[in-house]
Amino acid sequence: MKNESTIIDVPAESSSAMKGKAPLIGVASGSGGYKRGLSIFDFLLRLAAIIAASVAAGTMFTSDETLPFFTQFLQFEAGYDDLPTYQFFVIAMSIVSGYLVLSLPISVVTIVRPLATAPRLLLLVLDTAALAFNMAAASSAAAISYLAHNGNQNTNWLPICQQFGDFCLKSSGAVVSSFVAVVFFTILVVLSGVALKRH
Amino acid sequence: MAKESTTIDVGEPSTVTKSSSHVAVDEKKKGFVAAAAGGGYKRGLTIFDFLLRLAAIGITIGASSVMFTAEETLPFFTQFLQFQAGYDDFPTFQFFVISIAIVASYLVLSLPFSIVSIVRPLAVVPRLILLISDTVVLTLTTAAAAAAAAIVYLAHNGNANTNWLPICQQFGDFCQATSTAVVAASISVVFFVLLIVISAIALKRH
Repeated sequence: MKNESTIIDVPAESSSAMKGKAPLIGVASGSGGYKRGLSIFDFLLRLAAIIAASVAAGTMFTSDETLPFFTQFLQFEAGYDDLPTYQFFVIAMSIVSGYLVLSLPISVVTIVRPLATAPRLLLLVLDTAALAFNMAAASSAAAISYLAHNGNQNTNWLPICQQFGDFCLKSSGAVVSSFVAVVFFTILVVLSGVALKRH
Repeated sequence: MAKESTTIDVGEPSTVTKSSSHVAVDEKKKGFVAAAAGGGYKRGLTIFDFLLRLAAIGITIGASSVMFTAEETLPFFTQFLQFQAGYDDFPTFQFFVISIAIVASYLVLSLPFSIVSIVRPLAVVPRLILLISDTVVLTLTTAAAAAAAAIVYLAHNGNANTNWLPICQQFGDFCQATSTAVVAASISVVFFVLLIVISAIALKRH
């Protein structure tokens, strides 16, 4: 086996002068840079989703209304605990908000170590489950809100919003807020998927 | 700036050894499952993904058609309630039928992407497309299943506070069919979550 040899020129001066000028946030390899940006965006989205989810839970929880007059056939009080679906909504949105708060440290870990895949994969799996849970609560409450607004003639279910205007308004607002949280979750899942991919 | 130089020894390229090893590898592993070191388990995951999609197609088509054909006509006449019940009496059930049908056709259209990921296990773009569209379809499926579940719960139990009577006591068959459809849609939601997790695991770098 014949040995070949080649000569490579190496500059004597080390680049310590250049090193001192490097930015604090910068990453050595190019691929970590945009992933870190994605992680920061992920963290901010999580904060926004916490606000949306907790607003939804709180608004539904405090949506009580007592009518000033008395009617013979209908109750003159309406609250979220009169409808089991709304109870499920409050509990589910509280669980989702709690999960989001607990996932903030993991998001910080992905900012600090943008090339690690295990925290991102964990976040993606948990976010997908939370997305499904959030969407279930939101859309079942939306179905009940639709019934409360419109009723159903075929089953003789009367629309209660005509009596309980404030209750309907607040519960519908809570449902809308939880749909906003669903949109945030969808973006979070897609973000984690994009940040996971190899180059 | 004084320049230093260093000498690196480069051995003769081992073409002789390379070609022989290639021939041996090609003869042994010419089959469908052969891949580079990183592609092996990803290909297995994608095959599982493909099978899950087929199962989800079956379940969503079943859910949509069961809800679509959930009609019941009572043999007697009552003064206050209608003596017919069908999916089109409830806007939520109409939404259910339409959206689960959309989900079923999306699944059929996503099969080629899954096949491409099986054939090219290291390609990123098909998997990313599948992940994003699976997430969107997951939200749609969950919405349809949960909304229909809320109505089915009301039909079974009613609500004393709002004076909504449970209609299942009169329309037993209709209630049974709608409940089955809701359960099938919920199973497909679980399948979608699994599909998303599989795409994410297959996407990640080593």
